[in-house]
Amino acid sequence: MKTKSSRNQQVRSDCEELLARFQQTDSVRFEVFSQIWREMKFGHIFFGTAGREKRAFGRAALDVAAVYFLPPFSFQIRAGGLYLLHGLYHCQTASPRVPIRLALKDWEDVLAFEKDAVGAQHLDAVFLLRQLLLRKAFHFAAMPALLTFKRSKEEARSRLCKRFVARARGPQELVGRDAMEELSNIHHLYGKLKSSVFSEAQRERLGVALIRHNLPAQLRGHVVSFHGWQKRKQQEESDDEDEGDGEGTSSRAESSRRAQLLSSIKSKAYGQAAETCKSRRHRQVEVNAGEESGPALSKVRSKSSKVSLKARTTENVCIIGDMSKEAATSTRIHHLTALDRGGRQAQKDESAGE
Amino acid sequence: MRPHKNRGLGSGLNELTLSAAVGTKLHIEDEDAFHANFAQEMGVSVDMMRELKEVCSIASLRCHPEDQEPDPEVVPEDPTLKTLVERKKKQDYKSSLKISKNRHDLYADEQERLAVMMKPEAVENMVSEGDVILTMNVYYPATFEKFCYVRPHMTLLLMGSQRLTELRDAICCASDLQMCGEFSNAPDMAPDFVSKEHYKSAFFFFEGVFYNDMRYPECRDISQTTITWAKANNFPPYSQAKMEDTKLLDLQVKVGFPYLYCHQGDCEHVVIITDVRLTHKDDCLDRKFYPLLTHKHRIATQKCAVCYTFIARWCTTGDQFAPSHPCVFCDKCFRMLHYDADGNKLGDFQAYPYIDRGAFN
Repeated sequence: MKTKSSRNQQVRSDCEELLARFQQTDSVRFEVFSQIWREMKFGHIFFGTAGREKRAFGRAALDVAAVYFLPPFSFQIRAGGLYLLHGLYHCQTASPRVPIRLALKDWEDVLAFEKDAVGAQHLDAVFLLRQLLLRKAFHFAAMPALLTFKRSKEEARSRLCKRFVARARGPQELVGRDAMEELSNIHHLYGKLKSSVFSEAQRERLGVALIRHNLPAQLRGHVVSFHGWQKRKQQEESDDEDEGDGEGTSSRAESSRRAQLLSSIKSKAYGQAAETCKSRRHRQVEVNAGEESGPALSKVRSKSSKVSLKARTTENVCIIGDMSKEAATSTRIHHLTALDRGGRQAQKDESAGE
Repeated sequence: MRPHKNRGLGSGLNELTLSAAVGTKLHIEDEDAFHANFAQEMGVSVDMMRELKEVCSIASLRCHPEDQEPDPEVVPEDPTLKTLVERKKKQDYKSSLKISKNRHDLYADEQERLAVMMKPEAVENMVSEGDVILTMNVYYPATFEKFCYVRPHMTLLLMGSQRLTELRDAICCASDLQMCGEFSNAPDMAPDFVSKEHYKSAFFFFEGVFYNDMRYPECRDISQTTITWAKANNFPPYSQAKMEDTKLLDLQVKVGFPYLYCHQGDCEHVVIITDVRLTHKDDCLDRKFYPLLTHKHRIATQKCAVCYTFIARWCTTGDQFAPSHPCVFCDKCFRMLHYDADGNKLGDFQAYPYIDRGAFN
């Protein structure tokens, strides 16, 4: 059982290597892919298997590769995954060929992919997909793999290669140009309506903020800073991985690890915005939650232990501006209405973000 | 890992074939027709189509010069892929062991290989298009601790249109061949008492429903005891159905979930449906061969205590000739040791027919 999972690990790392090179070219052309394939001599991956090993290995390789053809990976990686399936399917030495398993739930995704590819005129991708279907390379199955009760732990915990995953685009899509216009209109009306309740003098006296000032601009600022954070995080991650490749066992690495450990402890200490007493609320510690301590943190921990939910959340969730304060403390009913200086502070954050 | 709930096994997959057929025009068998069709649909010119074909040809994946085809049986020199590096290491280690062949490797997928791409002689035996194939694992009864850990006893492929009784008949278990009783006075009588012919009742248990085998008049509803007990102990109610009326397609099951097959009163096997998929052109397409056995576990057999050559057929207790109590013998040794030339019983002992667990090897 152990050899099986370690073999899968190797195949996976080989596939990821190929796809990473493909990703660097910023292309979805099959020509580019096949050139990398030839450079890596990827077709030789089947060489040296004999007898029943042929089919077993073919099965394993296709199962590993099929993952990259499906979401949540970016379109480019999925195209690469398709080419990879095409290559592996046609280069395998077993006869009759081991088919690619396609689960019922994934069929919709395949159709969506095909539609996207047709729409973008990626003819090579569409052509190869249809050719695979024509040659009956697929087994249409209920589930992606055979299900039994005993499977090794390693397989269950198979992880996704983060670099390949398509970036979440929810916030950017939600806050588009049209939506912003709409929002600013509504906000304007809402502000008018609210301010009509009190007279100018009354408001002065009470010092209550009835509306959030210039909400649309704030929102836009947040989306921009989220985008920046996403980009920076990806950059950091790829930097990390590049370092990992070239890193020797010199003392420099050792010392940098120590520095990282220290910085992670520090950032952890400062990361939690301590709730200050009410009299000092106006001088709160500002936490730049956009700055991430996550990657350093996870690197320090040993690989075998699973990172806690809290750590994973801090790593993967982008918290902007004074939201971190709200997120860190539990919501209390009397905090739901904020005084005006909240708005001012947000403005300051926004200008800092930009 | 999580078992997948599959409501009405067939329906979802049948829709899939249909959409696959429509979406990709599977009815075009010819590659040329496919190319022409593709060019037309995408609005691609002839030249561009030619270029596309060239770019996407399989030749573009070749990793070596055309004239020197390397041997696919050996790992190429100084590989760079991690898989190959590891494989080379393993092969070098294996060759250092000086064991040339492993008979387990040789026969491992024997049964699977037999039926691949088998085509029926008569057209009416052809598996119909869009039928589903289920892969079932049947395990040994957990009567013996080691059996909890061994591989599936047998793996069967069944078609969705088949009935549960066909699955039941395909499952072979040593307890079906068991003979009950003491036969030391008349060893020739024994073969007439095979359990399979005496106790025909059996049931499958899937998702709260007991499917009883009621094909023969002597069949009894052996699930009734469990149902009554469950009712008395505030368990959710279970229902019953007939095994011979139920097609596999009509079952509501979870893929990968352990279910129960019970026969001979208390011989209980775990049954797992590991896979459901549509038929493929490389499958065995002859109806006659289903349920198709693709894997059978081979178990070590108990040999005769005298000759150590043949599989044991008799088990004796209180035997004054035997070195142990109980002791097993093959038929020949048993008769030579315990009976005189005229077939008269010698000495004092009890003899029971013994069916080895590996009887179906």
